[in-house]
Amino acid sequence: MIRVEGITKVFGPDPQSVLPLLEQGKSKSEIQAETGHVVGVHNASFTLKTNQIFAIMGLSGSGKSTMIRCVNRLIEPTAGKIYLDDPDQGARDVTGMNAEQLRNMRRRDMSMVFQHFALFPHRTVLSNVIYGLEIQGKDRGESERTGQTTLEMVGLGEWSASYPEELSGGMQQRVGLARALATEARILLMDEPFSALDPLIRVQMQQELKKLQSDLGRTILFITHDLDEAMHIGDQIAIMEGGEIVQIGTPEEILVNPRTEYVARFVEQADPTGVITAHTIAMHLPGPRFHTVREDSGVTYHARKGYEDIEYGIDRSDKLHEVLINGNKVAVEPLAKILEQHASSPFIRPRDDLVLTCQRDAVLRELLRGRVCSALPMIVTNADGGVEGIIDEAELISGILEKRGEVGAEA
Amino acid sequence: MVDDISGLFPFLVLNPFDLIDLPARDWANDLVNWSVAIFRDAFRAYVSPPVRAVMEAFQWVLSTIPPLLFLVLIFVAGWLAASWKVGLFALITFLLLGFMGIWDQLIVTLSLVATAVVFSILLGLPLGIVCSRSDRFAAIMRPILDIMQTTPPFVYLVPAVMLFGIGNVPGLIATIIFSMPPIIRLTNLGIRQVGAQYIEAARAFGSTPGQILWKVQFPLALPTIMAGLNQTIMLSLSMVVIAAIIGAGGLGLEVYAGLERLNIGQAFVGGLGIVLLAMVLDRITQGLGEKAPGARKTRSD
Ligand SMILES: Nc1ncnc2c1ncn2[C@@H]1O[C@H](COP(=O)(O)OP(=O)(O)O)[C@@H](O)[C@H]1O
Ligand SMILES: [Mg+2]
Repeated sequence: MIRVEGITKVFGPDPQSVLPLLEQGKSKSEIQAETGHVVGVHNASFTLKTNQIFAIMGLSGSGKSTMIRCVNRLIEPTAGKIYLDDPDQGARDVTGMNAEQLRNMRRRDMSMVFQHFALFPHRTVLSNVIYGLEIQGKDRGESERTGQTTLEMVGLGEWSASYPEELSGGMQQRVGLARALATEARILLMDEPFSALDPLIRVQMQQELKKLQSDLGRTILFITHDLDEAMHIGDQIAIMEGGEIVQIGTPEEILVNPRTEYVARFVEQADPTGVITAHTIAMHLPGPRFHTVREDSGVTYHARKGYEDIEYGIDRSDKLHEVLINGNKVAVEPLAKILEQHASSPFIRPRDDLVLTCQRDAVLRELLRGRVCSALPMIVTNADGGVEGIIDEAELISGILEKRGEVGAEA
Repeated sequence: MVDDISGLFPFLVLNPFDLIDLPARDWANDLVNWSVAIFRDAFRAYVSPPVRAVMEAFQWVLSTIPPLLFLVLIFVAGWLAASWKVGLFALITFLLLGFMGIWDQLIVTLSLVATAVVFSILLGLPLGIVCSRSDRFAAIMRPILDIMQTTPPFVYLVPAVMLFGIGNVPGLIATIIFSMPPIIRLTNLGIRQVGAQYIEAARAFGSTPGQILWKVQFPLALPTIMAGLNQTIMLSLSMVVIAAIIGAGGLGLEVYAGLERLNIGQAFVGGLGIVLLAMVLDRITQGLGEKAPGARKTRSD
């Protein structure tokens, strides 16, 4: 949907003069010392796919706000290209648009949510929400109906006649979100939208945003300085440092395989339980840590070396046939089903006569919950039900502590 | 020879003013005569009539309204603009002035002030807006405004009389020029002070520069502009009084005539009228500024 190619932004009296220095590989601080120019963003490229949430994460001053403002050209990039790909209209070069085209793009294609809300204090909540429609000259009554519906969507239907100053921070940002949603632009630019909110409200807003996104199908560029937030919200994450994008990947890719020291330091602080998947930490079956015990009418029985009391019977189509403990068959249940059953009463004694199976993309948090129900290793299956591996206590622990498993180490 | 120069030297250091005689008075006379010769007819033909027309319209309307209705209106105006207390204050004030027998003068002064303020807004607001959008224009305007504001009010009267004769109109012209600077300055200031985040948000949604001005900058600057309007009204009231010297009517004339005839009582009543009128107008315009929606703040500020 949006392609950003080699965007550079230099602040100062003569930005173009600095570009050759950047090409020579001079650092941001060298350039600042020598020329007095500030490099906001250097050579950033990424692609924002339709209906995706793309998160940009970095410390303050790393160039995130500059980057997102280059996308709708609130800040004029010094070099590089930005394309807006549209199934109906083809690719449009945002960087080459004139003032009129730019206004039309901001009205129809992209809207924005700001860190400090930037609601117009002299307008009521409703008239803030319909600002974008008003400047397009849309019919007033119709705009107000749209605005009211949008306000109800963010849970503020009763506040339309209030002024922003009468609302709490969290409510103000809902209005900010409603204002951005009301124009029905498919792309939402969000510059640290939740950073100014209390932690509890922030988590709530993150969840609501994810829900809104899946209901409405918007494409979102989301800025944050909080890796946990980026991992929770983002389908893809770009990490920025000193104006450059140092790594792009899925949350799990970044967590499991941080490419630079800088990213690794962030990752250390991050909460892995919502990101690391079963697939990543599973011990492969069959694999070097297993040996085949016997074969019996098309079912192969495997046992983990050193844990021969448990046998995993797998049929010819890789599906789990049965699990035997000391020769006795035990119950096998899907993790999802057990979690549902025990959602209301989590404190139960782990059973040692029940084996759970989980999908390869189940996250660590779910696996840990499952562990509370069953003390036996968990079986990881792919989408077709074929066995991929097992997860025992050691894998869970290393998933939390090391945040990487066999796959991550290999990758 | 040496003695001559050394005798002259201390004299030179101590008093150099006799050496050069700048004929500034003549220049000023020439300048005024020249501009009067060039502009007088044009000014009398094109500037006087609209000012006079507006003034007469105000005067006609204000003096046609029956005093009792006027009192009700002034109460409502004070109430709506500020609070019921201000409304009551205005009501009592006007009642008092009426009982003191200066109602007609009050109406004349009020129409003069209203006329001056209308023209100050008509000219000052656009100038202030242009100032806020062009640094160069603002730099040019600043010294002009300084001169307009620091020139003693009496000084305006002389060229005004020479260009427009005597009466209400020259008084009004002098008043307009004297009272316009605050509204220009504060319009400029108010618009420039609008938070960058609001302008950025307006741009992000695709506003045109005109939409940014009228939907965001102007309303948010309104409290500041209202403060300018308040000053403009106060200045025009003080000037309208001074303009009585060149034939403007109203409360100023009451004071002026009273002093001339050594009738202290008459001058006192006129003066009291001016002070009370100033207080009423001040409260009402202050209330307007505070009630403007742009005076609201967001909590995150
Ligand atoms: N208008 C500006 N003029 C000069 N330097 C700027 C300007 N805006 C941002 N910068 C600089 O660019 C860098 C990136 O800033 P910013 O994009 O705001 O970072 P972030 O949003 O990640 O905190 C910083 O070093 C900042 O000082
Ligand atoms: Mg920022």
